[in-house]
Amino acid sequence: MNDFNFHVKPIGLMDMLYFKKMVPARQKALSCGSAEPFSAERGANKLAALLHPKEQRLTIAEVIRHGADAKTFVLTGEPLAPFRAGQYLSFRLTIGSSVLTRPYSISSSPKWASEGKYAVTIKRQMDGFASPWILDHWKAGDAVTASGPEGTFCYEPLRDTKRVIGLAGGCGITPFLSMAYAIRDGIEDFELTLLYGSRKECDILYHGELAKIAKETSKVKVVNILSDEQKEGYEYGFITAERIRAACGGEVCSVFLCGPAAMYAFVDKELEKLGLERKYIRHELYPAPASPAKIPGYPGIANGTLTLSVRLYAETKNVPMRADETVLTALERAGITVPSRCRGGECGFCRTRVISGEVFLPEALDHRRMADLAAGYIHPCCSYPLGNLSIEVWPE
Amino acid sequence: MIWLVAMPRSLLLFFFVRLCTESNPTRTTIFERGVTSLEHAYDAVVIGAGNGGLTAAATMAKAGKSVLLLEQHNLPGGFATSFVRGRFEFEPSLHELCDVGSPENPGEVRRLLQDTLGIQAEFLPVPEAYRLITTAEGKENLNVVMPFGVKEFVDQMEAYVPGSRKSMERFLSLCESIMAALAYIGASGGKADAKVLMKEHANFLKCGGYSVSRILSALHMPKKAQRILCAYWCYVGVSTKELNFALFAAMLYKYLTKGAWIPRMRSHELSTALEMRVRELGGEIWYNTKAEQILTENGRVTGVKTSRGEIKTAHVLACCSPNAVFGDMMEFSDIPQQQTRMVNARRIGARGFVVYLGLNRTADELGLKDYSYFIYESMDTVKEAARADGFNNHPMQATVCLNRANPDCSPPGTCIMSFTTLYNKDVWGSVPAADYVSKKREVAEHMIRDFERQVGVSLTPYIEEIEIATPVTMARYTLNPEGAMYAYSCGGWDTMLPRLMMLKEDQIVPGIRFAGGYGPRIYGYSSTYLNGELTAKLTLADMKEAGE
Repeated sequence: MNDFNFHVKPIGLMDMLYFKKMVPARQKALSCGSAEPFSAERGANKLAALLHPKEQRLTIAEVIRHGADAKTFVLTGEPLAPFRAGQYLSFRLTIGSSVLTRPYSISSSPKWASEGKYAVTIKRQMDGFASPWILDHWKAGDAVTASGPEGTFCYEPLRDTKRVIGLAGGCGITPFLSMAYAIRDGIEDFELTLLYGSRKECDILYHGELAKIAKETSKVKVVNILSDEQKEGYEYGFITAERIRAACGGEVCSVFLCGPAAMYAFVDKELEKLGLERKYIRHELYPAPASPAKIPGYPGIANGTLTLSVRLYAETKNVPMRADETVLTALERAGITVPSRCRGGECGFCRTRVISGEVFLPEALDHRRMADLAAGYIHPCCSYPLGNLSIEVWPE
Repeated sequence: MIWLVAMPRSLLLFFFVRLCTESNPTRTTIFERGVTSLEHAYDAVVIGAGNGGLTAAATMAKAGKSVLLLEQHNLPGGFATSFVRGRFEFEPSLHELCDVGSPENPGEVRRLLQDTLGIQAEFLPVPEAYRLITTAEGKENLNVVMPFGVKEFVDQMEAYVPGSRKSMERFLSLCESIMAALAYIGASGGKADAKVLMKEHANFLKCGGYSVSRILSALHMPKKAQRILCAYWCYVGVSTKELNFALFAAMLYKYLTKGAWIPRMRSHELSTALEMRVRELGGEIWYNTKAEQILTENGRVTGVKTSRGEIKTAHVLACCSPNAVFGDMMEFSDIPQQQTRMVNARRIGARGFVVYLGLNRTADELGLKDYSYFIYESMDTVKEAARADGFNNHPMQATVCLNRANPDCSPPGTCIMSFTTLYNKDVWGSVPAADYVSKKREVAEHMIRDFERQVGVSLTPYIEEIEIATPVTMARYTLNPEGAMYAYSCGGWDTMLPRLMMLKEDQIVPGIRFAGGYGPRIYGYSSTYLNGELTAKLTLADMKEAGE
């Protein structure tokens, strides 16, 4: 070793004494701390608790009807977590013996949240499980439980163009309505042109409200497109490449989509014609289909009853599971309250360990971490069983 | 954030005699023994599945102890995790691991994780040590790239600072003295001879108590060389006037001799591998389960109350802050006053802020040549650390282009970047909730624009995904006080050497020890793995002493 006679002070021994002082110095400093209880003033922790509550207890203050099949629920609570326009709440519901969650976009202005109010607009899905129940049962004065605001379907100026084309289908208008309010209220600063597809004039949600916002701010424009009705003042047909191109007005624009799966299938093809880079196209996530039967690549038979063996902390339970439903649905029907939020594979809250068995996870919904994939973890919200399955979950 | 240090694991032996703790891998878990949920009893309960908690749990299980690992979140890792946005999977906090080394020249961390604990993981080497840029020093501004390897580093330094070679060689000689002394102390099995230390490891004793600045001045190192040498200071987050020389020298020396490494599938790969190993060894892991209260009787730990019921145990290994343990999980009246004073005396370490970008161009196309970039206004680290006390328009940044070490980390035609800065105070805690999103964006934009300007690249048009984590985000997921990333600061008196020399007296409540970043070997990835092992071994020694 290239050793040399190192010293800091004139005599090396003094340096060694300095070394020896480290322990007494620390002992002294530690004994000088206050004997009072620790201060609770931890700003970042308080703000985290406000922004990301584990759950929010809300009261239905008002129910607004939109025709026969949709309602807006105005929810109040104190305090409410602030949210970004485009985010959703995941509601926890008990329907019969099932304990389940459903995500719904917040349709109100972010400004409302600071006043203790959210609104969600829910449309009846004819073959749905939760939405008909909600529309039939939720009434003013009821208490409901929701998650904090979740999701990333939000405008981001560092990423998106200043002008955004919003493509909405049916109830998919709700996050855009919140964005439109946010623009009007000066909370967001971008231009939003909405191409909103409905079947008929009477199906247009928030027709008047959107028209009013478009009058109040020049930054919001709404084009209503009707597929099943030709009527003056409305475009007729579908959300086509031509219409999107026209809305872009020769500029490259970010395009946001929210609507049912059938709309995505159609519009995605139209968007291909525009040749936009992927960064300009953003889909709101959509829940995994109830049945896997029609998902491309599904190798199962979607028929019959299987056994789901669930390891829960100290015990193992066997519950029935249908071959044509998600693992999460089977858990929920058994009343096992595993964490879940988005139900579309993205949020990862339902991350679950597979002990044995096989599942089908559609590629489009598979947002698992690489290491989770390698280690056999699944997101049960978008996993369909291919046989009996044994898993470990950790209910909240 | 960060990835530190790097004292030999054998140093543990300085403080206690190595235990024979080979495992009994066929041991049954409590479930298999058929115990009902009301009667959970474990030899040890680990609170928090961060790096330290995972390592501690695996070490305990390997020693044949029944162990329950509790985690309030739904996945392992704490800071060592990953998240997916669009087609990108981001690394939340790791820049580079210290002390992994190559398979042929393994460091302590590779030996611990792969040899001792037997986990499977693939490590990739980081190509260069760092690019260092300073922006507000006029003619003195730095823009240098430093390599790994002792000789390469010294040669490159001589090229940038002619005449620096002699002082650099002396610096490295001190590094070697430090490593040799620590190895001797380790090998002595707790019986290091003061005479031998003074005779053969005199330089260690003579430099080990001082700050980095003090030693570099004593070495008459040219100022410019000192500035280039200290680039890694932000990995510890305290100025070189406060930063202990032995700690810094050991870290730098490990980087130079062992290189830096990252796991291929983000740090979640390591966390998942450890998690799986804990189970294989018979350990039990409960996610979504909060440790609500630590139960004591006559000052001794008797159990842990969780959101799932009571667990009997005499040993808690906490991979969380002492503030959480003594502030939230115990009654104030049950806490010895000395313990309260200790917690209050300590300084909360740096809080992290990270911008993550998924870009739709390759690193080559964007002109990103390097993996690791440090951009500071100046290498006056006292000034620079003071700037981190509040918001400013040009926050220092430690920035990574992940593809430069991990080319396949993102889809073809894309790359991943992350930009990290530090805050020394709880400034994010006083941002009004209504301004939080815009403040995040403002800071992120400053950092991206600074990087673009200083490195001469354009990034903004290519942002496909962006996410921003603040101390508030980190408070959400880790529950650390003020969202601290660097646990308790190791500046000044609270540095690693005295912490290690006070292992015994730092434990006030029998049965509670701290793994993770709040442990004796301080914070940073490498340290937390090693803290986990150390804490488990100390607990095993406690058990042995108690005849358990």
